[in-house]
This record gives sequence, C-alpha cells and structure tokens, in this order.
Amino acid sequence: MGQKEFSLLKLMATYDKRWIYLLLFIIVLGPMVQPIGMPIAVSALTRNYYEKIMGLKAGDIVLDCWSTEWSGYMELKPGFLASHKMFIKEGVKLAIALGHPEGIPLVHTVFDEELKSYMEKYDYEYMKDYIILGFVFPNVAATIAAASDFHAAVKVDWMGTSIEGTFLDNVHTGADWTMIADFTTGAGNPGLVDHIVLRFGTPMISHDIGVMLPGMLANLDAGLYVAGLASTRGGAELEYLISEPGPGLIMMDSFTIGHYMLIIFIIIGNIGYFGWTSRTREREKTAIK
Amino acid sequence: MSWLFKSKQVNLAVLVFFFLVGFVPYFFLMPQVDDAVNKLSLIAATTGQFTVAIAIYSQWRRSLRFIKEKRKGWAYHIYLLALMSGMTFIGFAWGKSHAAYIWLTSAIVTPLSSVAYGILAFYMFSALARAFRARSLKAAFLIVSGCIVLLYQAPLTGAYFPGIESYAVFLTDNFGMSLSRMFSIAIIIGGIILNIRMLTGRELAFLGFAREES
Amino acid sequence: MPKPLFDIRGIPSGRFLGLVLVIMIAVLAIRQMRKKELPFIRRVAAIDAIDDAVGRSTEMGRPVLVSYGIGDFSYSLIAALSILGHVSRICADTDTRLIVPTGGGHTSYLARELAVDIVRTQYVLAGKPEMFREDDMPFLSGEQYSYTAGYVGILVREHPGSVIMTGSHASEAMNIAETANLVGAITITSGTYVSNMAALACASDYIMLMDEQPAAGAYLSKDREQLATIRVQDIYKVLAMTLVVVGLILLNVFGSGFFLDLLST
Repeated sequence: MGQKEFSLLKLMATYDKRWIYLLLFIIVLGPMVQPIGMPIAVSALTRNYYEKIMGLKAGDIVLDCWSTEWSGYMELKPGFLASHKMFIKEGVKLAIALGHPEGIPLVHTVFDEELKSYMEKYDYEYMKDYIILGFVFPNVAATIAAASDFHAAVKVDWMGTSIEGTFLDNVHTGADWTMIADFTTGAGNPGLVDHIVLRFGTPMISHDIGVMLPGMLANLDAGLYVAGLASTRGGAELEYLISEPGPGLIMMDSFTIGHYMLIIFIIIGNIGYFGWTSRTREREKTAIK
Repeated sequence: MSWLFKSKQVNLAVLVFFFLVGFVPYFFLMPQVDDAVNKLSLIAATTGQFTVAIAIYSQWRRSLRFIKEKRKGWAYHIYLLALMSGMTFIGFAWGKSHAAYIWLTSAIVTPLSSVAYGILAFYMFSALARAFRARSLKAAFLIVSGCIVLLYQAPLTGAYFPGIESYAVFLTDNFGMSLSRMFSIAIIIGGIILNIRMLTGRELAFLGFAREES
Repeated sequence: MPKPLFDIRGIPSGRFLGLVLVIMIAVLAIRQMRKKELPFIRRVAAIDAIDDAVGRSTEMGRPVLVSYGIGDFSYSLIAALSILGHVSRICADTDTRLIVPTGGGHTSYLARELAVDIVRTQYVLAGKPEMFREDDMPFLSGEQYSYTAGYVGILVREHPGSVIMTGSHASEAMNIAETANLVGAITITSGTYVSNMAALACASDYIMLMDEQPAAGAYLSKDREQLATIRVQDIYKVLAMTLVVVGLILLNVFGSGFFLDLLST
C-alpha cells in the first residue's frame, strides 16, 4: 500500500483547532512576559473621552456606576484604572454605585490595592472625596428611585454609615450629578440613560467592552453619551494620554499580534478551502461512479 | 381570602394600577405621585434580589441528588456545596470586608470568573478562523470588511497607517451602529406590545395562570 | 442641537412624540389581535433546521438540549418557550430525552416555572406523562457564568445530538456553542443580542437572526397575540425606514432640520 502524500493545502483545510488554542496562548503570553514595546495610535473616540474627563473641575460630583462583574473587569481594567486616576487627580468627588453583586469585592481590589498609592499621593480620602454606596442599582426600578429622590433611596454607604454631612448632601435628583460615568459589560443599567440622562440631561460617559461598541456608538451618535471608551485598547490609549503606563499598554503587544494572527489564520483557512476542500467536493461530484 | 390571590381579574387590576403609577408620571408631570413611585420602585428592586435564595436552595437539591446517586462528577458537587456554604457563612457572620471573604473572592471566584470570560477569546478565535470562508461574493465582502476592522483594532496598524481609521470607522459607524439601532427598535416595540398583551389580559403566563389555560 | 417643535403644558419636554408612538403601537396591536384572520407569516427556515436537528438526535440515540435564554420576561422569551413547546412535543412523540438547563438571570426562576409547565403539558398531550422528568430541567444558577459552567458540564457529560439555544443569550452563548461543537452536537442559536451575533453566526450550525426567532415561535404556536406582535413590529419598521429616508432627504437636500426637531418633540 502506498504512503499518503503530504498535502499542505489539505493541512491548511483540516488542521485541528487545538493548534490554534496553543498558538494563541503562546503568542499572547510571550509579549506579556517579554514586552516588545510596539507603538500605538490614539483614536478620536479615546481623545474625546479624555477631554470630557479633563473638563471636570475639583469638587464636581460624579455618579460612578460599576455595572461589571469580575470577568468583565479584566477587559475594562486599563480604562477603569486610568479613568479613576484622572478623577482622583482632578479632585472630582465620586459616588460609587454598583450594578452587580460581584462589584463588592471589586471595590476592595480597586481602592485597597490598585489605586491605594495614587490616592495617598493626592490625599484622596473616603467620605471626603469618595463614597462607596454599594449594590444600590440592582435593576432599573432602583435607578428610577434614586434619580427622583436620591436621599430617600440611598441613606447609607455600603457599610451602613450615614451619608449625611458629606458632599452627597448636594445631590437630590439625577440633575445634581455633574456627570455619570458607567463602566459596564453590557449587563449594565439602562435606567441610567432612560431615567437620568433623558430626564435631566445629565452628561454621561461610558466605558464598554469591545463587543458592546456598536451599541455604545449608537448612543454616542444620538447624544445620549458625551463620550465613550472601548475595551482594553481604549484603556491603553487613555493610559498613554495621561502618561500612566499600566496593564493596558502592557497588553497591547499581545493584542496586536493576536489580531494579526487571526487574519493570518483566516487567510490560511481560505487557501485551504479553495485549494483543497472545494476541489475535493468538485472531484467527488464529478467522479465516475 | 385565597380567592383574592387566585382571581385573574384582581391580579390584572393590580397590574394595570401599578403600570399606570409608573407609566403616567413619565409622560405627564405629576410631582404628587413621585414619592409613591419611588417607594414602589424600591420594593420591586428589593424583591427581585430574593432569587439568590431560590438559586441556593435549588443548587443544594440538585447537588445532593448528584452525590447520593454518585453520578459522573459527583465529587465536584461536594466542593461546590462546601464553597457555597462557607462563603455564605463567612459573609453573614463576619461581613464582606473580612479577610476570609476577600480571600475566597480573590483566590477562587475571581480566577474562575475571569477564566470563564477569557476562554471566550479562544472560542471566538477558532470560530472565526473556521467559519470565515469566501464561499460567495457576499462572504468575500464580509471577510474583507472584517479584516479591515481587525487591522484597525490592532494598535500597531494605526500607528503606521493612520488612514485605515477612516475606513474602519466608516464600516463600524454605518453598518455596526445602524444594525444596533435596528435591533433596539425591534426589541423596544416587541417589549411594548408584550406589555400591552399583559395589560389586556392576553398574556397571563407570568401571573401563573398558564396551568389553567393549558 | 435639535429643539422640540413645541412643548405641551403638563408633559415633560421631549416626551410628547414618544407618548403618541406608544399609543399608536397599543391601538395597532389591539386591532391586530382582534382581527378574525391570523396574520400571515412565512415558514421560517429555522423550523426545518430544528426538526432535522431533533431527528438527528433521535437517530443517534442522544438527548436534545434546549435553552430559552437568560434574559428578563420579554417577547423573545415567549417565542423561545413556544419553540421549547414544539421541540418537547417532538421529543415526547419520538421518545427522545430532552434536557432543558434553566437559570442564568436574576428573573430566570419565573420563566422556569413556565418552561416546566409547557414541557410537562406536551408530554401529557403526547400520552406519555411518565416520560417527563423535572430533573432534566435543572435550575443551575441565577448568575450568568455559573449557569454557563453548569450548562457546559451538562454538554460534556451528556453529549447531546443537538443544542437549540433560543431566547436572549449574552456572552455565554459563545462558550456553549463552541462546547456543543466540540462534543459533536448540531447547534441552532438565535441572535437577539447584537454584540454576540457575529460570533454566534460563526460558531453555530444555524442561526436565527433577530426577529426570525419570535417569528418562528409565533409560527409554531399559531398564537394570535404573538403573530400580532410580529405584524405590528413590521409596520413600525416600515414606518422607521420611511422616516429615515424622508429625514435624510429633508436634511441633505433641503437643509431642513425639521425632522430632527420633530423627533425631539
């Protein structure tokens, strides 16, 4: 019996997809272990987001909504941290409202670990500059309540301490927030747009995951958002703009290589398809039987 | 008294009343009703969170059955129940800021949650590499557009070929965004009509009357 | 910046047109639901795909996995439950095991009760009430990724012949579709979430895009209300397209912002 001939085209058409998993893992991990330092370009979207936050003044009160669970935080982390660094540096007052129960340990991670030294540098203190309200926006109904009468809906912070006598005394309805900043994985809160932005005209910025980009652009184009930041790449661009390198910029080498690798595999797959699969089908269709 | 809760008409009347309480103040200025709306909204928000208790009960039932019958993977259910109970106990006993609770979250929940999400990248990658075939002209256009957007999304491309941004943004804005808007229209209209069906008594399943109907 | 054409006392600015449109939808919907004749809907190709997929599972002696989504109570969920009813009837008639993982969202327990009723009813109507097993409809979790983990576990243990994911699924659909592919199951999904539709289209063997799923559900159930929903949606889509075209002409050809102002009223 003769040996089967090796066919590159057949290999391109029929390779085991686990090779893709392995190659992707290596290619993504490699630049994170040994960064290459590829340049990045800042998009107009990120620049607009940066300018909107830079437009805030010290003492402005921002409703900071974290509608993300742990898994989504991994993608939003660069933009998340960069945005909060900007808020801290500008002296903006933050009221952190969670839209997902997994946000509670997230608060510890962000404020007790990631941003701790930054907050110390700018003397950013709890209750004076930021208050964690907790899981107060579990659904639209809660958002409506807080938008109409904030102090009736929210009286204490997440540890049960009264918020009376803090900067939140100046917030009564949705109109009193200088801005809303929403960090969401899409499971987020439609009540913010429907019942605060549309009702009171409060400006809103949003940091979304990559797959939410079309929806975010639609809201941006309609004027519902004043700025948007997309995914890890947007976060990396923001880190670059504020000159605070972080996890985003570290990931960009892997990001770039991963994207190029996908294009290469699409090309390989198409070569295999036209070179092998469709010819095999043609041969089978026209074979003498 | 149970007839009150079982009556279709009473349930519908309550539904219509609370719908009007929420709907009317949105379209008509009625500051007198705002306080009532706020309180109702809070009650709805609080009640909805009790599904967590149902999930815990349901999981215990299911896991105990798995363990009793020694079905495939039963050992993992012991681990699941131990972790679930431990975390619930620690959370209630010592609060969410206790080191043990934070450790459980950071060491177990966070990595698991991140992996479940991170795996998507591998799946999407292999699905796209497998499925993107230029079998027709339309498919070829799709692949070309996809590659343009992919190239733009890679930060390095924008640094050396800034002109690609206009093409990619054109594709995203004109196709992606318009698709998203079309979806929104369809979903919102469907949602409004479903509400009308509920209010007119034509969709009673959610009130628990489906059994009688079938 | 567009300005409302006029303001009406007692109605907040920018909400008048919305109120008019909602009232119009209500009137149209009630009229359609009252008509004696059922609105025509073509047979969606996905229905044949579903029938073939279930047939394949029966031939292979493997179970069928159906899920109806993790989202809130919506018209998409109603349609998904209609499809669940159709599939459970076929499974009851052909003695094929049906598994329905439930959960995934905070209000998913409500939908579970409906799903259990629907499946049980179909088995009773097929004359095989003893074949119905509520154990095959486990409530996995109210959290999305916990539900995903349980779902994937079921796929890997049970090796179904077909996986039918209708209703509103978010990012977990990708996990499930790829794992279903890995275990050799035919995957039929519905893309009701714009963000994952592209990926699902690549990962599934068959996908129902957006309104095809409610249309399939309405066609199978022959429910007057569901059919009326599809009809009114179509009417509004035509209206939206007309408004877009007219607005584009007015804005670009005549330079008039009248339409933008009208839509802001």
